[in-house]
Amino acid sequence: MVQINLPKNSKIQKGKYYKDNTGSNNIRKVNVYRWDPSTEENPRIDTYEVDMNNCPSKVLDILNKIKNEIDPSLAYRRSCSHGVCGSCAMNMDGKNGLACTKSHSEIKGDINIYPLPHLKVLKDLIGDLSILYKQYESVEPWLKTSKKSEKENIQSMEDRSKLDGLYECIMCACCSTACPSYWWNGEKYLGPAVLLQAYRWIIDSRDEDRKERLKKVADELKLYRCHTIMNCTNACPKGLNPAKAIASIKKMLATS
Amino acid sequence: MKDKNPLSPHIQIYNWHISSLISISHRITGIINIIIITLICFWLAFLLFGTKNYELIFNFFGTFIGKFLIVGSIWSFSFQALSEIRHLFWDLGFGFEIKTSNITGLIVIFGSFILTIFLILSKNILL
Repeated sequence: MVQINLPKNSKIQKGKYYKDNTGSNNIRKVNVYRWDPSTEENPRIDTYEVDMNNCPSKVLDILNKIKNEIDPSLAYRRSCSHGVCGSCAMNMDGKNGLACTKSHSEIKGDINIYPLPHLKVLKDLIGDLSILYKQYESVEPWLKTSKKSEKENIQSMEDRSKLDGLYECIMCACCSTACPSYWWNGEKYLGPAVLLQAYRWIIDSRDEDRKERLKKVADELKLYRCHTIMNCTNACPKGLNPAKAIASIKKMLATS
Repeated sequence: MKDKNPLSPHIQIYNWHISSLISISHRITGIINIIIITLICFWLAFLLFGTKNYELIFNFFGTFIGKFLIVGSIWSFSFQALSEIRHLFWDLGFGFEIKTSNITGLIVIFGSFILTIFLILSKNILL
């Protein structure tokens, strides 16, 4: 159901203002979405003045600095800090991405940081991705084969190259939560991340379940809610193209 | 517990891209075009009831609102046609790279205005 406005308990209020106490001459204002599950209050935007003279280059460095030096109550996910784990996916400057690979010098003016869009917030910048993980499970993302050879399952170089641009996906959910179709139909539409994974197994030459996989995904809601809005491809921090993967599935269905 | 948790902001904070802007415009012009086609059908039906009706509508098209409606609907059809061609290429599997889709997107936007002007001038619709 299309719901443009946020529900009542999600309306954002003005939050606290943390003034700089280092006396730095290079200050940036960072606005961060905050919500504390232990209170009954609505979410708020806290503003931090951050000393940029002693801050490394990425947005994640700013968050670490805030957590370490200004406000330890700030909650966000992070792990590898090298764009491989996908934990620190969030909305920065109106666009989804990984905080650990996004340079703050790319952002003009104040830095606005929100959780990934249209998710139930667990705390501060942490959104609940359990629906997406369930959908991921539903495409059965593992190799299905009847062969039981002792040797490795060999693939030609040409077949292997078909997986390029698909296997690199780190399931950070930047694409799915950037997609307006996924916002409005998140429980039924699989979304770009899961469909890219579905295509990754459909196109794998070693997999013997292609027909079944295609049949399963060929659904008015699961697949065809994609209207080629292309927000997914614009958002992907790994430079992949979920829109193209979805179109490839549609094309396979139309031509088979 | 789930109802207690707030929903993170979405369309309120997300940046518009060329592709998302055209996508929503494609839908809106699609709905507008259906309404326009219905109105054209009514217009034709009116003509069956004699010259008086013809004059009424003819005079209406001479007013500012009437002219605006004509120009607006020509643009709406132009936009839809060009955007649909873009979609046909997508359906064939071409033009998914961000750069390509941005260029074709700009072609659709500017092309729709150029096509509108071209159609008006070539048919002297407003004269």
